[in-house]
Amino acid sequence: MISFINILVNGLLMGGIYAITAVGLSMQYGVARILNIAHGEFIMVAAFLTWMLHTTLGINPILCLAIVGPILFVLGYLVRHYLFKTLKEKTPSPAAFEGNSMLMAFGLLFVIQSLATYIWGKNIVGYDFMRYSVYLGEIRFAANRLVIMITAVIICFLFYLFLTKTRTGKAIRASSQDPDAAALMGVDINRMLTLCFALGALMAGFAGVLLSMEYKLDTFMGMGHTIIAIIVMVLGGLGSIPGSLVGGFILGIFYGIVSGIEPGLTEAAYYLLFMLLLLFKPSGLFGR
Amino acid sequence: MLEVKNLNVFYGNVQVLWDVCLRVEEGEIVALVGANGAGKTTLLNAITGLVKPASGSVTFMGQDITGLPPNAVVELGISYFPEGGRLFPDMSILENLEMGAFIKSSWKKRKERLEKVYQIFPLLKERRKQMAKTLSGGERQMLAMGRVLMSDPKLGLFDELSYGMAPKLVKESFKMLQKLRDNGLTILLNEQNVKQSLEIADRAYVLENGRIVSGGSCEELLHSDHVRKAYLGL
Repeated sequence: MISFINILVNGLLMGGIYAITAVGLSMQYGVARILNIAHGEFIMVAAFLTWMLHTTLGINPILCLAIVGPILFVLGYLVRHYLFKTLKEKTPSPAAFEGNSMLMAFGLLFVIQSLATYIWGKNIVGYDFMRYSVYLGEIRFAANRLVIMITAVIICFLFYLFLTKTRTGKAIRASSQDPDAAALMGVDINRMLTLCFALGALMAGFAGVLLSMEYKLDTFMGMGHTIIAIIVMVLGGLGSIPGSLVGGFILGIFYGIVSGIEPGLTEAAYYLLFMLLLLFKPSGLFGR
Repeated sequence: MLEVKNLNVFYGNVQVLWDVCLRVEEGEIVALVGANGAGKTTLLNAITGLVKPASGSVTFMGQDITGLPPNAVVELGISYFPEGGRLFPDMSILENLEMGAFIKSSWKKRKERLEKVYQIFPLLKERRKQMAKTLSGGERQMLAMGRVLMSDPKLGLFDELSYGMAPKLVKESFKMLQKLRDNGLTILLNEQNVKQSLEIADRAYVLENGRIVSGGSCEELLHSDHVRKAYLGL
């Protein structure tokens, strides 16, 4: 029983972070049509900023959500406004833009990674945050993991409310389903695309802050997160935002189960799952 | 209410509309008929701002709207029914209708507008939680028409209302359209289905290869030799 709950908690812990990461990528791919290969680099920057703020200024990492998140939002805004929007204006067709924007994101990946390595060095860094145990009844939890899990679930829930209950959220979903029709409803599509990219970066920011509370950081950590986000996106259905939320938690639980049996095999299991999905359910859970 | 004057539109180097002039008065249903590729959709797109005209003007209620972006045109009271309805498939009926009231001035009044639309199409109220992609053809048509009304438009532009529909549904759709006119909407209708649209419209224009070749009351056109030969197969 306890080991089952441990698997579940581990799964929800990773699942929450996966869901946030994948929703971010989905916002950028599903709406703005940018497969942002540099997504993980945004996560890495957010994690390092949190580490800096915590170790030099002593700011509580939870509070960093409110500082680092907005910084990443602005960074995402600038990247879309100055790089991808200009690229889109210079690209003749939407199909060509999907290819070119991915290449642009590749460039961005290495620029951010190199700059980060230049600034923060090649060493592995990290900090201790709430590394003690709490008991809920009989069951022991690592306090920081519990905080990460709860925060991630709250962020996902709030974001879900934003998408389903607010005017802007509905416009985002409409734009992802049919941008031309959304424009006819009076949605300013160009502004919406920039907003979606920035929101994607905000999600990367949240994921980075949460990751830094438990895991060690290095400037090459980004790629792994990008790939997991892509797997979750395929699992949930390309571009489907609810699919990414649910897919994140499913992959998290999958992680919990596999790492409960044999921790060394989690990565192999991920890629196997990814390949099986492509073969048997390429449209994903919520795919159209 | 709407006046299009000497409109010229190019796609790249190809001219698709030549000196098009057209007028729609308040309360009318005006049909724009012509074959596929005659430039009907381009004309509507130029009115709504999806396409920028090279020269000419579009005036709506006395205001020059030539080249305004789509969101500004919607704001002024022109609503567009795109070919095929273009519903948001993964949103509910209610959410699709809400999107129809997206512009700021309508969003505040969306509750009243919803009641109005539900009054005209009661079925939409019953099914409001249902996803658009699960609706039948007739229900989709109803929803797309309801969505047009959500911004409280004065003029509705309908692009190929009957496109790809079963004959029974075509009839129903034209009935719905008349219902909208009875509720105070002025209508400019783009149709390949020449006979049916001439039957419900007040006036019509015939567009061929980007030029308006004739226009007048539907009565006249139904009896003109050219229209009978080219479009009615008589």
